[in-house]
Amino acid sequence: MIEVQNLSKSFGKVNAVQNVSFSAANGQITGLLGPNGAGKSTTLRMLYTLLKPNSGLARIDGFDISQSPIEVQTRIGVLSDAQGIYERLTTRENIRYFGQLHGMSDQELEKRMAELIVMLDMHSIADRRTKGFSTGERLKVAIARALVHDPGNVLLDEPTNGLDVKSTRAMRQFIRKLRDDGKCVILTSHIMQEVVALCDQIVIISNGGVAAQGTPDELLQKTGKDNLEDAFIEIIGTDEGLA
Amino acid sequence: MKQVWIIFQTEVLDNIRDTRSLIIGVFFSALFGPIMMGGLLLMIGSSFRKDLEKPLTLPVQNPEYAPTLIRFLESHDVITVPAPADPETAVKVGDVDVVLVIPEKFSEEFSSSKPATVQLVLDSSRQTSMVNILRIQTLLDGYNAYLGKLRLVVRGINPEVTDVIAIDKVDVATPQTRVMMLLSMLPYFIIFGVFSSSSSIIIDSTAGERERKSLEPLLINPVPRRVFVFGKILSSFPFSIANLALTLIGFGLVFNVIPLEKYLGMQLGLNVTTLIWIFLICLPVIYLASAIQIVVASFARTPKEAGNYLPFIALIPSLPGLALAFFPVKSNLWLMLIPTFGQQLLINQLLRLEPISAWNIITSVLATLLVSVLFTWLGILLYKREQVMFRGG
Repeated sequence: MIEVQNLSKSFGKVNAVQNVSFSAANGQITGLLGPNGAGKSTTLRMLYTLLKPNSGLARIDGFDISQSPIEVQTRIGVLSDAQGIYERLTTRENIRYFGQLHGMSDQELEKRMAELIVMLDMHSIADRRTKGFSTGERLKVAIARALVHDPGNVLLDEPTNGLDVKSTRAMRQFIRKLRDDGKCVILTSHIMQEVVALCDQIVIISNGGVAAQGTPDELLQKTGKDNLEDAFIEIIGTDEGLA
Repeated sequence: MKQVWIIFQTEVLDNIRDTRSLIIGVFFSALFGPIMMGGLLLMIGSSFRKDLEKPLTLPVQNPEYAPTLIRFLESHDVITVPAPADPETAVKVGDVDVVLVIPEKFSEEFSSSKPATVQLVLDSSRQTSMVNILRIQTLLDGYNAYLGKLRLVVRGINPEVTDVIAIDKVDVATPQTRVMMLLSMLPYFIIFGVFSSSSSIIIDSTAGERERKSLEPLLINPVPRRVFVFGKILSSFPFSIANLALTLIGFGLVFNVIPLEKYLGMQLGLNVTTLIWIFLICLPVIYLASAIQIVVASFARTPKEAGNYLPFIALIPSLPGLALAFFPVKSNLWLMLIPTFGQQLLINQLLRLEPISAWNIITSVLATLLVSVLFTWLGILLYKREQVMFRGG
């Protein structure tokens, strides 16, 4: 469960995020849609504690991101834009590293790794060093490592960026599975199709602020359009930076 | 604490598998110093011997004006040869070390008991010529004193009246202290090795992680930033320690196995006990090197940029050691407060087989540790900043 209230962040004179408020429920996929540079990633980075908001607050499972970052970090799994993995370590070693940092016991960790390897179909790469892995294989390692501690909240920054059609489909299926497992999933995207296909709740972000939010039906009603893409463009005022 | 250990373990494993960097960063940089020193000692040693054994060949311009002087020189193992046409140019370009020029007025001045001028054309900046120049100067001084006394005797004066003071040189340089001039370079190599071996590890685990985009996911883990800084600093220790040990073993081998005493006519005292003491004294420097470098690497956008800074960082603490090679400094307690310089003075004392005060060692260790802790603290502050992740990204 993630609640965001009036979150603002500026870098120097640039107001990257202004008064963003929304909430994301468990068992739902909440999408932050907006053109490139609208402030989606900055919002997400504040939620995963690497950026400190200038004002406003956000809580994850009731823990304040500024006051209790460590508590927050134990409750989130993050797939950020930076998905670097350790090339000289094997898939297992990569996943184990993060699991250990989350304080998991060896037993828990081995059990969870076995699950993840099945879930993400990584048998063939589990014990190979990750150097030379394909984009899809790397992504699997990054996902497994982000979810090794089985977090209740999953934050995904443009999760299908750069993936081919097959991987994109697999990724979407995986995200739906996370929702069906009762997780609170937030993803950012500048791809309208993706948000339409996945999200239960949509938060439209434009120029650092929330332009509109609601379920797809609510957004259609609000704009009086008969398809979501038109509704998005109506709300944002332009289709620039969208796909 | 457990998390520090996890980070340490993973970083060490990751770096051990980076075989190529390991070979260059630890093994090659460890052997660089000993090989350089060995080569230098061999070269200087053999050139000293050569110069002293050989009769000195001295180009002389107009030897006919001073036949007695020439005879005096020849009786002292000097072979005179005709001087080049332009003595100054010949010395400047290094064709000859020194030229003796006897002016036409010499015999006239000489016979009338005026100071008779001779010219010695030399280049005092050329170190390799100094042995020959000194030899010829000493001979000329000898001739001057000898004839001066003869003149006094002729005039019925006791020549001893001119000896205001009698200089009796007592050279306290033991064989070891004479080689010290060369050995003063040794602390420099040791400290430099420590800094350069930790730098590749630290760059990789900070700026390298940022460039490979693995720093951001790493820092999202529920781990306080100080734990990352401790873990990463610690992870360079095994490599720096290996480098230090290898460097010392290398020096031990160079000084004990290569028959340097044959060239230098002296035995060097770099024994196992000395090496172990040097090792222990330098351990705090390992911490210092990592702590300084983690601070610098946190500024750098890429490993390449960090790679530009770190050699300078490695150089700065080594500079006092280099200065030491030319200006010997006495070990004072307050000098021990300067990290790396204190260690270099202590190493020098160990090599000179001088007694070492325990206070000096304790001061040096504590001062270095204190400065390292300050840098660690600064590192933690820097790693708490947002910019640590997003520089250049």
